[in-house]
Amino acid sequence: MADERDRDEPLPYGRRRRTAASALVAILVALALGALFNAPAMKKTALELPFGGERSFRLALVDPLAVVSHWLFLDRPARLTAALLGRPDPGPGDVPAVVVVTPKPKPSRSGKPKHGDKEKPLPKPFKGHPMHLYIAGDSMMGLPGMALVNLSNRTKLIKPLLDYHISSGLCRPDFFNWPAQLQRQAKAFDAGAAAVMFGANDNQAVQTPSGKVYQFETGGWKKEYRRRVSDAIQILFDQGVRRIYWIGQPIMPEATFNRQMKVLNDIYRSEIEKHPGVQYIDAYGLLSNGSGGYSQYLPDSDGEMQKVREADGEHLTYAGGLRIAEAVIAAVKKEWFTKKPKPEAGEASPPPGETTTPAP
Amino acid sequence: MLFPTITFAVFFLLVFVGNWLLMPRPRLWKPFMLVVSLFFYGWWDWRFVLLLALSAVANQFFALLVERTSSRTGRKWALAGAVAANLAVLGWFKYYGFFVTSVADLLDTFGLNADLPLLRIVLPVGISFLTFRVLSYVIDVYRGRLRTSSLLDFAVYVSFFPYIAAGPIARASEFLPQLTAPRDPRRVDTARAFFLIFAGLFKKMLLADYLATHIVNGVFTTPGQYSSLEVLLGIVGYSVQIYCDFSAYADIAIGISLLLGFDLPDNFNAPYTAVSVQDFWRRWHMTLSNWLRDYLYIPLGGNRKGRSRTYVNLMITMVLGGLWHGAGWPFVFWGFLYGGALIVEHARVDRRKDRAARRRGGLDELARMTAVHGLAEGEAGTASPVLPPAAAGPPALEYDRRPWRGRVWPRVGVFAFVTFAWVFFRSDTFGAALSVLARLFQSWGSIGAAVTPGVLLAIAVGIGMQYVPRPVWQRGEAGLSALNPVLQGLVLAVGFMLLDILGPVGPAAFIYFGF
Repeated sequence: MADERDRDEPLPYGRRRRTAASALVAILVALALGALFNAPAMKKTALELPFGGERSFRLALVDPLAVVSHWLFLDRPARLTAALLGRPDPGPGDVPAVVVVTPKPKPSRSGKPKHGDKEKPLPKPFKGHPMHLYIAGDSMMGLPGMALVNLSNRTKLIKPLLDYHISSGLCRPDFFNWPAQLQRQAKAFDAGAAAVMFGANDNQAVQTPSGKVYQFETGGWKKEYRRRVSDAIQILFDQGVRRIYWIGQPIMPEATFNRQMKVLNDIYRSEIEKHPGVQYIDAYGLLSNGSGGYSQYLPDSDGEMQKVREADGEHLTYAGGLRIAEAVIAAVKKEWFTKKPKPEAGEASPPPGETTTPAP
Repeated sequence: MLFPTITFAVFFLLVFVGNWLLMPRPRLWKPFMLVVSLFFYGWWDWRFVLLLALSAVANQFFALLVERTSSRTGRKWALAGAVAANLAVLGWFKYYGFFVTSVADLLDTFGLNADLPLLRIVLPVGISFLTFRVLSYVIDVYRGRLRTSSLLDFAVYVSFFPYIAAGPIARASEFLPQLTAPRDPRRVDTARAFFLIFAGLFKKMLLADYLATHIVNGVFTTPGQYSSLEVLLGIVGYSVQIYCDFSAYADIAIGISLLLGFDLPDNFNAPYTAVSVQDFWRRWHMTLSNWLRDYLYIPLGGNRKGRSRTYVNLMITMVLGGLWHGAGWPFVFWGFLYGGALIVEHARVDRRKDRAARRRGGLDELARMTAVHGLAEGEAGTASPVLPPAAAGPPALEYDRRPWRGRVWPRVGVFAFVTFAWVFFRSDTFGAALSVLARLFQSWGSIGAAVTPGVLLAIAVGIGMQYVPRPVWQRGEAGLSALNPVLQGLVLAVGFMLLDILGPVGPAAFIYFGF
């Protein structure tokens, strides 16, 4: 390509050089038209930002663009192309920033709802009838989830389904609607248990059903977030999940973020106490070093030092994820694999060969 | 700041305007380019800017020391100081954890329990590229191939934002001369620039990220969840992903530089069409291969010190090349595989060379005897039918220099080898790599849900596009250059729209940022 580097030599196939001004025209046209073509997608991105100044600023810029794009029919090509290619519409979705869940009434004999049917013996999984473990969360659940999948497969008695979505959380159902997702997936997968991990993206404002926006850590925020945690638990139980393993947030390298994660962990712990059938997995402790502090390296079960955090210091490596996965699997085994006291008539675990579904 | 974002588009638009407005006044242009480059780099972490500034000042100091020291020994010591300082910085940021855990594991093997300090060190983006760039400057000054530039010029070279995060590794001798005179604003290769930028975005957003999320990440993390066919496709998919990801960054970097008036060296040339491993390294990450050849392999002695030494030099170069990519034993093994493959190829060609030499030795002897016999019979003046006239000197040995003969099977074989080697490159540990490879033989009963038309198409396009002859692309560039600027903009806008619809949600970082 030496000939192309020499500015006095002709370029191949009569390729023409242009002036910087004509390049500027092409760039401006490309960016302006590109912005108008993609205005719905830009608006969607702006809407999904955390409530606050940047979101308002971006919306102030994008809103008029979206209006102009719509008037000039320039948003149609993108929408039409997306529809033709079977892709989701590029514009904002219709899910609001707040979702209110109405718990399904499930009265017990005493007339009170039974969270997770704690007192009901769990059906012991056996070969051919594994327990279905639904694993859900944000990007923090990525590698722990994959480690959990590997450990589950190794038991041959747990069938896992990993379902994690980057940048998601419980604060912004308009970005990713976890209540709907939990409902849909737990039911479709016929989940017996669920391991969930949320929170790393939830250090942001929330909108209450009344439309009021509360900033992170305020009293209103805590109340609303508690409701959402409780709703998530209730949704899973309503779909027949018998046990929930709620994984807290691990220790974080940056002091402010770490404190925020502690706030979330406190909420998870206190909400879990109100719901029998839910167990808290203390990722914070599992990922702390001997003196309770942060470390990027921790010893594995053989005593060998392993890097447990990715380069960003927050996300977990596979080795880090494995520590959480092992804790979840231990909890699952304790509850699902150990022999229980003799169950009541009609509640017995199916014997080998019987084709009843292990999930309730 | 990632290339495929609106933030970068706005940043670049402002830089583009400033670049050409200030270009006629180098005294203004150079500080401007330095500031915007530092801003670009500091977008990741402002502390990185300090590292960059320190690197520029320190290496300029070493280069001046090398240039102004008259004694050969003194120059050598100055060069050694520069190499040691740069490798120490690289070692601290990139290899500290690897070193400490390896030492701790080694001590543990001997029953010694060492509580070595493990720190959280933030790896600056593109530090390996930075190290090689600045070393090329000091070494070229040492070799007398380059004169030291001003600190400002050198700082612009060190921090030039298009290549700062992931190459290409433009050498000082390639870039600094372009700073001596303003670039000509009437002769900008816009069509090639737009073509490269769009091609880069296409490869990154539609092929690399698609394959990563739809098959590769899953297969490499939870191979037990996938059928053997899925694992095979996942491994091949990673070959395509890493090519599309890395070459995309290089394409965009070269395209952006062209728009600013600068030429960067090509970094890829259809690597999966290579007919040998040697050929592969002439096509893959070419600026790294050339750097390793010129600044490591040749100083080690290259092929000038006998065959055994050549093979040792090849192995050292490739193992260090592997380690350059990442701090971990799988990277070392990846380099070892390539070192071994290159040795095998060299040995094959050397054997052929020996045979050719023996053949010629026999023929020479025959010719000599014929000549002697002829002279004895009084046939003086008859020219030898074998030997050329003595004045022409001995001809070059004629033998097949290709390590592997044929057109199709060498390509298939090299691709299979490269793909196999990528498994170790992609895996965190040997155990993880072996799990992936073992899974290839464990579950051939089913096809698997991850084998989708989309995945197959992405793999086919990723490999197939490398077999498209270069003139086809060049005709496309020429066609784009024939359009007027407004139409060029329209074509790009439609292209961006399609990328936005078909691409993943949100930009993913380029793989080579971590190297």
